[in-house]
This record gives sequence, C-alpha cells and structure tokens, in this order.
Amino acid sequence: MSDVPDGLPSDAENISLGGFNRHAGPIWRLAADGEMRRFALPVHDKHMNGSGSVHGGLLMTFADIAMSQTSRAASGAKSCSTVALTCDFVGPAKLGEILECRVRVTRKTRTMVFLSADIAVGARPVAVATGLWKIV
Amino acid sequence: MSVPSGSRGEKGARRFGLRVDKRHVNMRGVIHGGMLMTFADAAFGQAAWDACDHAPVVTLNMQSQFLAPAREGDWIEFAPVLTRRTRSLLFLRGDFTVDGQPIYSVSSVWKILARIRTGQPAGARHRSWPRPRG
Repeated sequence: MSDVPDGLPSDAENISLGGFNRHAGPIWRLAADGEMRRFALPVHDKHMNGSGSVHGGLLMTFADIAMSQTSRAASGAKSCSTVALTCDFVGPAKLGEILECRVRVTRKTRTMVFLSADIAVGARPVAVATGLWKIV
Repeated sequence: MSVPSGSRGEKGARRFGLRVDKRHVNMRGVIHGGMLMTFADAAFGQAAWDACDHAPVVTLNMQSQFLAPAREGDWIEFAPVLTRRTRSLLFLRGDFTVDGQPIYSVSSVWKILARIRTGQPAGARHRSWPRPRG
C-alpha cells in the first residue's frame, strides 16, 4: 500500500483503524519472524511526553495492542481481554524513531493466553512487557 | 492526544478524574487498556513530581490488573498513593473506580533523576522531608 511510511516494508499493514487504536496509532503489522509476531510504530509528536521521550503510556498501549492481536491470532478467538500487563521501561525512545514490538506466546490454555513482548528501536531495548489475556 | 481529565486536592494528595468518551474505547465500547495505563502513567507522574518537589522523574515499571470494564460516559476516579519514597525511588499504587467500584488496579516504581543543573544526587534536597503518610 502506498501509505506505508518510510522505513517500513511495503507489506506492512495498518491495524489501528478504529476506536482508541486509531488515536494511538498508526500501528503496523509486519511479517512474522518464525514464532515471533512483529509490529511497528513510527514515533510522532503526539506520542511524546514533556521531557522529549516517548510517553510510557504509549509504550504500554503499543504492547497491549500488539499482544492482544497476537492472543487473538494464537487462540482463534474473535476477542480477547487484557487481564494483567506488566511493563519495564528499559530505555528512552525519541521522535522519528521506529519502535518495533516482538511478541511471543508463552503458553495458551483453553481460556487464557500468556504473552511476552519486547519493544526496541533497532537493537536498542526500550521496554519489556509480559501479560495475561482471557479468551472471550 | 488530549485527554479530558482533571485533578483536585492539595499537592501530594491529588485526585484525578476522567470522563470516558468515544476516543477512549475499543471496538466493543469498553475503555482501552492502553488508555487506562496512559492515564495512570500521567497521574503517577504528577504525584511523583509532587513528592520530590518537581525533580525530574521517570517511570521504571508499571503493573496493571484490569478488574472490570468501564464504558463511554463513565466517570473514572483515581487517587494515587505514595507507598514509599527513598532517596532515588518512589513506590506508587492505586485503584481506579467507577461509582466506588474498582475497575483497574495499578502499581508503579519511579526513579528520581539527579538535578542536572546542580549536579546534586537524586533527592539530595529533600532528605529532611517527613515521610509521606498513607
């Protein structure tokens, strides 16, 4: 698609089309790397805090959306609800950088999905998250 | 993103509120977890900033439990609690409520950064402060 921003592969797909996601994004789904599902978020001015770094709320939002997508895909459920999410803020990210979130399914049961995610800019770690999703 | 919200109360004992509108909800009409976590980070940031006399602070970690949905039109209240302050760290927690019922429980660790201008160690100005109540 022609609206894929510079720095992303041309097959990237915008997954933030409605509701809150549309305000928080755009967030792009990238091709999976084996078991690892990958998502990208180019940092815009609206994502920044007052100190010139990406807002922690945006990093947790990105992790939540990427992990929710992954839990839906892994479970085949139409909908999954976030039950718990823990996030460590490892390093800052700046305006214009492209955040990449890599999500792994730790375990899937009949009713729950356990996930972990790493957010990085290139090889530089920015945040690490783990979470628990309920299959609705 | 602009967030219609506000805070009341004395420094160090602020309460925060958010009226959920259509921008904050997902396709199921329920407030997005990302919105709650963003609101928590902003409120904790204000509380942390208050607790160390406006020294620069950063979020190190946040743990969230999503207890119940909130919907468009709901009024969410949040009163952050400072559990402990050390020279360089702040421990904060709190429950978000709608009509008195908890919907979201969160705890967070913050770091007080050294003041770059003065080169003082983190929190050096505030060693004599009384321990926070609560």
